Amino acid sequence: MYNAPKPNIKDLPTKAKLHRSSIIAGIGAVFIGVCVYLPAEYGTDPTGVGNIFGLTEMGEIKQQLAAEAAADELLHGGDESSSLMNDILGLFVSTAHAQEAWTDAITLTLAPGEFTEIKATMEEGATMTYAWSATGGRINFDLHAHAGGEDVTYERGRGQTSGEGSFETPFAGEHGWFWRNRDDEAVTVTLQLRGAYSEIVRSE
Amino acid sequence: MIPNRSYRSGQQSHPMRQSLTIFTAALLMLMAFATSAYAHDVTPGDAGYIQEIFGVHIISFIYLGAKHMMTGYDHILFLLGVVFFLYHMKDVAIYVSLFAIGHSVTMLLGVWFGWGINAYIIDAIIGLSVIYKALDNLGTFQKWFGFQPNTKAATLIFGLFHGTGLASKILEYEIAEDGLLANLLAFNVGVEVGQLLALFVILIVMGYWRRSPNFMRQASVANIIMVGLGVLLTYQQIAGYIAST
Repeated sequence: MYNAPKPNIKDLPTKAKLHRSSIIAGIGAVFIGVCVYLPAEYGTDPTGVGNIFGLTEMGEIKQQLAAEAAADELLHGGDESSSLMNDILGLFVSTAHAQEAWTDAITLTLAPGEFTEIKATMEEGATMTYAWSATGGRINFDLHAHAGGEDVTYERGRGQTSGEGSFETPFAGEHGWFWRNRDDEAVTVTLQLRGAYSEIVRSE
Repeated sequence: MIPNRSYRSGQQSHPMRQSLTIFTAALLMLMAFATSAYAHDVTPGDAGYIQEIFGVHIISFIYLGAKHMMTGYDHILFLLGVVFFLYHMKDVAIYVSLFAIGHSVTMLLGVWFGWGINAYIIDAIIGLSVIYKALDNLGTFQKWFGFQPNTKAATLIFGLFHGTGLASKILEYEIAEDGLLANLLAFNVGVEVGQLLALFVILIVMGYWRRSPNFMRQASVANIIMVGLGVLLTYQQIAGYIAST
């Protein structure tokens, strides 16, 4: 009835052998759970093994992203009090009068793991032209905007050292960059801007 | 019954909350400066991590490959079907190697050349592979058609489809160009590690079960259940495909 014969009992692994394998599997499962799974998913590393293999960093990044996603959800869910607090903490960036045609030049330095946002207040249909370069390492960025339930992503990148371009706003609001350093060294980003914006804001 | 794998859902747009929109807009306009909400469409989980990193991360990708395999119930179900009646270690090694060769080839080529095959269609075929193997185990092809299709060839061919499925998932991860080849090979090694870990557990359970005098009778029930699960997997993917178009 099957495409295989009935197994011959003599060919099968003995009970003792199976018990031994089960114990090995159990020990293996506990080891993987504690030394691999916990660091890689939760950034919890009781043994230090996860750190050696770089898995703890993965878990920390995942936890960070999960927290950001949750905070994001909360914010978009209408709890504006937290963003109000953030706004109060928001720092105005000192803007240097630029050489050539640039209106503003902004310099920021991020240690590994650090992030910040540089946003420009713009009306609908306004245009911004920009150029930036990174020194000391490579940077991740997300050029986006969101306001009143609308959001747009102009450009995303990771491990980049320079960029330039321009964008036109589909709606009024804060348009700009989320920067995060995922490199091993501190990275300094110099951002030059010109265009129809009323204000530049940096938030930590 | 089966949780959707998170990377299938991709970036999620924030639900429009009409009633709050006006309130929010007014509040924002009152404020002279930006909110520092990092609302750059955060992607959490494995995909989010992969989208943050660049460069070579061997161990991380081995882990992700192994995790992908061990949590990929469709691959595990097929693997269970393949080894269901195999108990000589030599046979297990041959068939598992054929499956591994099959899925490695299409996984690597698919990612490298960016084959954009619809994930629902390929996962529906993977569901069919489970049905095929369970029917094969039941000897259905001999009964219905009077011949036995080559089981080794079937394992290899379905391995190729499983690899295409893996490739389409990896493409959704958007691995950085920087370090892609090394990371991809590490992911592939991880897939095989995950497969061997799963196989170890499967063989222990099957080892106990095969010693039971009722094994052959229960085997037919088990394979009929496996046909049912394969039908369910295929159905889910087809329904998902229809919903997505």
